[in-house]
Amino acid sequence: MRLSTAPAASAALSREVAVAGIGESDYREDFDASRGRAPDRRPPTAAELMTVAFERALADAGLARDQVDGLVWCTDPQVTDAPALLGISPPYRAQGASILPLGMAAGRDVIPTAAGALAEGRCATLAVLYTTTPRTTRKQFGGVTYTGGGRNSYYYYHPWGWSSQAAHWALMFTYYAQLYGVTEADLGRVAVSLRAAATRNPRAIMRQPLTIEEYLDSPYVVRPLRRLDLCLPNDGAVCLILRRTQDARTGPRPPVLLAGWGDAEVSERKLHHLVKDQLATVMRAAGDAALAMAGLGLGDIGHFQGYDAATCHLVGQLEGYGFAKPGTGLREWAAGRFDLGGELPVNTSGGMLSEAYMHGWNFIVEAVRQLRGEAGARQVGGLAAAMMAITTTESAHPLILTRDGT
Amino acid sequence: MMTQRRPDRVLGGPHDAFWRYCEQGELRMQRCGACQHLQWPPVDAACERCASTDVRRWDRLSGRGHLVSWCVFERAYYQELPVPWDTILVELAEGPLVVANPHGFRPGPALFGARVEARFTVCADGAGEFHLPVFALVEPPAPADG
Repeated sequence: MRLSTAPAASAALSREVAVAGIGESDYREDFDASRGRAPDRRPPTAAELMTVAFERALADAGLARDQVDGLVWCTDPQVTDAPALLGISPPYRAQGASILPLGMAAGRDVIPTAAGALAEGRCATLAVLYTTTPRTTRKQFGGVTYTGGGRNSYYYYHPWGWSSQAAHWALMFTYYAQLYGVTEADLGRVAVSLRAAATRNPRAIMRQPLTIEEYLDSPYVVRPLRRLDLCLPNDGAVCLILRRTQDARTGPRPPVLLAGWGDAEVSERKLHHLVKDQLATVMRAAGDAALAMAGLGLGDIGHFQGYDAATCHLVGQLEGYGFAKPGTGLREWAAGRFDLGGELPVNTSGGMLSEAYMHGWNFIVEAVRQLRGEAGARQVGGLAAAMMAITTTESAHPLILTRDGT
Repeated sequence: MMTQRRPDRVLGGPHDAFWRYCEQGELRMQRCGACQHLQWPPVDAACERCASTDVRRWDRLSGRGHLVSWCVFERAYYQELPVPWDTILVELAEGPLVVANPHGFRPGPALFGARVEARFTVCADGAGEFHLPVFALVEPPAPADG
């Protein structure tokens, strides 16, 4: 079964469903094992990754596996029978339409669909499980073997030698840099800032501090972008236990509520939207829908995580969702506004640049930790509402999470 | 000119038509008969904007445009191509943005907004020889206009 149509952003669904438990694989230890740097540990298989995330999420939620009556799994490579692999037989089960928690399959967003299934009473305790193993399968993110990425993005330009996700961000940033007069050193501030956040996260893969000089000395992948501008490829798994909010309140942890989401997609002239519009139109539309559903304004959001496939794309999201005026994101970053301790801390786990490339699933986990007050040395004080966003090269999918009672 | 080896094109249907025009030294795109939208890359069956199936008309374009963006591959994704490998984004006078290669220049900040025009360079891929549209500067470079 594939997921059916996800419910659109609707105030009636706001805060009806909550995250009751979170579980992750050991990003850093597994990364070291995959590189032969942990002699006593072999890299786990996809099945082992899924199992560990699932069991940790259950323990976090204070539930037993036989209480799980729903399972949605999103895996790359695909796993056909995840329930059997986990040793459960939930009546509600679905393979996610996408590897992303939101987006990449119009109207079939995984998290909104899962929330809809709970709100409709199709299940009461739903595990949403994600796993990816690009390091084990040696996935290449550019070239003739890579054909993903949606309409006419990667594959058409092979004869001109242009492909890869990174090349999209590079074209965006070259234009942005010319338009607003920013430099590569200005951009490096983002990588340095996220690494500084990662040093406060014991799960982060990249924890050694980074200086701007080291950034500028690092190799390019696609100029003007360096390896340190691009997210990590690593294997891992994330599991979320979702329940209706009143059920989640009986658990050992404070529930974190799914308050709002939005969705907007480019339908034509993709390169125009990507480069000349910097995706601002789709981000604004989706962001406004999510805020309206949550009954919040931008000023209520105290923590933001944007899809940091690339440093420049994260800056673009701060501008596109309205947290900074166009062309000012890097200046505001240099002034400290988006650092830990700043007015709007961004990607506080280190993001996909420094914590782990978990397609944004780790953003949900980080938002939950922050809203529960469990983020330790990187805790944002007095936080009531967090926004995270999956933003691809052609679509925008924000999700707002809130503390109970706010 | 020596034939350059390139990664394989997308072929079949309207894509074959596009490359046939290139062989004649013409840059053409499908213009929707209903909403007049120019399709790029070619569409198989319907207009990407209004979904009309009236997309059989191929308009000849001027081949002129200006440089909007660029990126340089330092990581080799294709065995056929050396690195560094320059790619550019050109906004055609008729509106569409196209990814291509610079011909006879290297892109950089001084050329942001520079006027360019199409040239056709002889290449070959697994399906044989073809004429690839690339872009040369129109001299002298115009001042940057975004």
